[in-house]
Amino acid sequence: MALGMVAMAVLPFVANDYLVGTGLTLLMWLALTQSWCVLSKMTGYVSLGHVVFYGLGAYLMVVSWQQLPFMLVVFGAGVIAAAFAALVGLPVLRVRGPYFVILTFGLAELVKFIIMAAESASGTASRILFGTPDLVVIYFCMFALALLATSLLTWVSRSRFGHGLRSLRENEEAAETLGVPVVRFKLIAFVLSAAIPGMVGAVMALRSTYFVVGGVFDPMISITVIAMAILGGGDSAKGPVLGVVFLFVLQELLWANAPLLYMIILGAILITFVLLLPNGLVGLADTRARWRAQRAAAGAKP
Amino acid sequence: MPVLDVLTSGQLLFAALVTGSVYALVALGLNLVYGTMRMLNVAHGDLVMLGAYAAYWAFSIAGISPLVAAPVVACLGALLGYALYKGLFRHLLAVAPADAGRMESNSLLLFFGLSIILQNAAAMLFTPNNRAYQYLDEVWRVGNVAMTGNRIAALLVAGATCIGVALFLGRSTAGLAMRSVIERREAAYIVGVDVDRVQWSSFALGFGSAALAGVLMSMLEQFSPFSGFPFTIAGFIVIILGGLGNVMAGLVAALLLGVIETYGVALTSANLRSVLLYGCFVGALLLFPNGLLARRSTRS
Repeated sequence: MALGMVAMAVLPFVANDYLVGTGLTLLMWLALTQSWCVLSKMTGYVSLGHVVFYGLGAYLMVVSWQQLPFMLVVFGAGVIAAAFAALVGLPVLRVRGPYFVILTFGLAELVKFIIMAAESASGTASRILFGTPDLVVIYFCMFALALLATSLLTWVSRSRFGHGLRSLRENEEAAETLGVPVVRFKLIAFVLSAAIPGMVGAVMALRSTYFVVGGVFDPMISITVIAMAILGGGDSAKGPVLGVVFLFVLQELLWANAPLLYMIILGAILITFVLLLPNGLVGLADTRARWRAQRAAAGAKP
Repeated sequence: MPVLDVLTSGQLLFAALVTGSVYALVALGLNLVYGTMRMLNVAHGDLVMLGAYAAYWAFSIAGISPLVAAPVVACLGALLGYALYKGLFRHLLAVAPADAGRMESNSLLLFFGLSIILQNAAAMLFTPNNRAYQYLDEVWRVGNVAMTGNRIAALLVAGATCIGVALFLGRSTAGLAMRSVIERREAAYIVGVDVDRVQWSSFALGFGSAALAGVLMSMLEQFSPFSGFPFTIAGFIVIILGGLGNVMAGLVAALLLGVIETYGVALTSANLRSVLLYGCFVGALLLFPNGLLARRSTRS
């Protein structure tokens, strides 16, 4: 993974614009998926509304364009997204299991339609940003965010906080009786997972310069993140990397020529992995490693 | 329109009834599948969409009236449900992890994958364009309410089906078996109910009623491969408001939703229809994690 980091760091200096753009998108998905895992993989509360933070960040960037320095807006987007999560977190996290899944989905759609209504009431159909920073600058912003997301997930995964999250994932009532501050931990995980997508959304608004509400609140973004995380498996930072790379390659191959086919394959991947490989590629690798270790141990006996 | 005029308009009442009855039919299937198997079928609306396309092709190519095609399409939907149950979902239940909540989240993702496949396969096969056709659209007038024939037909068919299913659940032995599985699955096993049969028949009934709702919907509005999704959301609102697994309360909640949507849009604006729908959805889940008219049940 360290090798990958170095490769991504030097990419803008050795590759052309198209490849840099592709690398940028890869880093974006990595940042989004890692941050999603901080909540959903660690606590088991699967969020289907991750895109709401992304969209809020993008919207903030677009409405404050050329009124504030863009780096400030990027940070602000993270803060605003986290604040939104803190605001809705308490009632939203009371809901459990599959209802949480559809609630987060509904919440993202609700925010989308509210902003759509607001935009159409003010007469704006779409917005365009002029004078955005250079691609390389945007690339390094995204690189920093991907790095931040991976570090966050790694830290959470290894900390006592993460341990507490895992315990509430396995059995929330039991964790509570053992003294884990379940409500507080869930809320913290939720807020932490919201900040980075907000910043990612703001940066991507700079990249695409053309903003349409439906595009930045597209539920397919949430679904793709989930697919990448499930594909990768596990609850550490390794899984999402595998899942992101795999799905990203698939996406790049099919998106331009057969987008519908890509969606069908995505759906099929979701079904296959949920049914057969709930621990994703990481789980698959772990099982094979254990298998090999077992065979080695059996072979070592006389 | 002045508020009082809106509230007493017979026209809007009729529209609310029609919308509500179609929602009731959609929610019925969703409720049965959830009640017996604790699975939230996110692909339900896409079955509605498939039913709509089936009726469309039957009418456009063979000239078959949707009212005649309806029972056939419903049976096809039921068959699909049966096949999916035997092929896919029995497997999922067999490998279920110990935690019921996790299995439910997993099954939701499964249905989501199915939904994506259905929508995009339909878009590939039928093109993503909107489709519609004219049928039974002579206008009948009662007082100052203008009703088109197709809306009256939709209301009657949806209403009759819902009442029929309610009678089935209330009066027949098979219906009683289904209710027992909905209420307490393990106990149903103990008293000798063939739970597997109840499950596939609820799947079949659920998918069949979704397909039927699709046929009705195809008469009323234009549709595309992606128009199933709002029906899924509406179905969810209804079953959450009525309490998951509670079929009768679901019927009431569906009419309520039809009223909220129709009168809400009339009082505000058509732009806000989605805001209203999702607002109700989020509100319902946040305020009533156990359903508005829910019966108390020890199983969460």
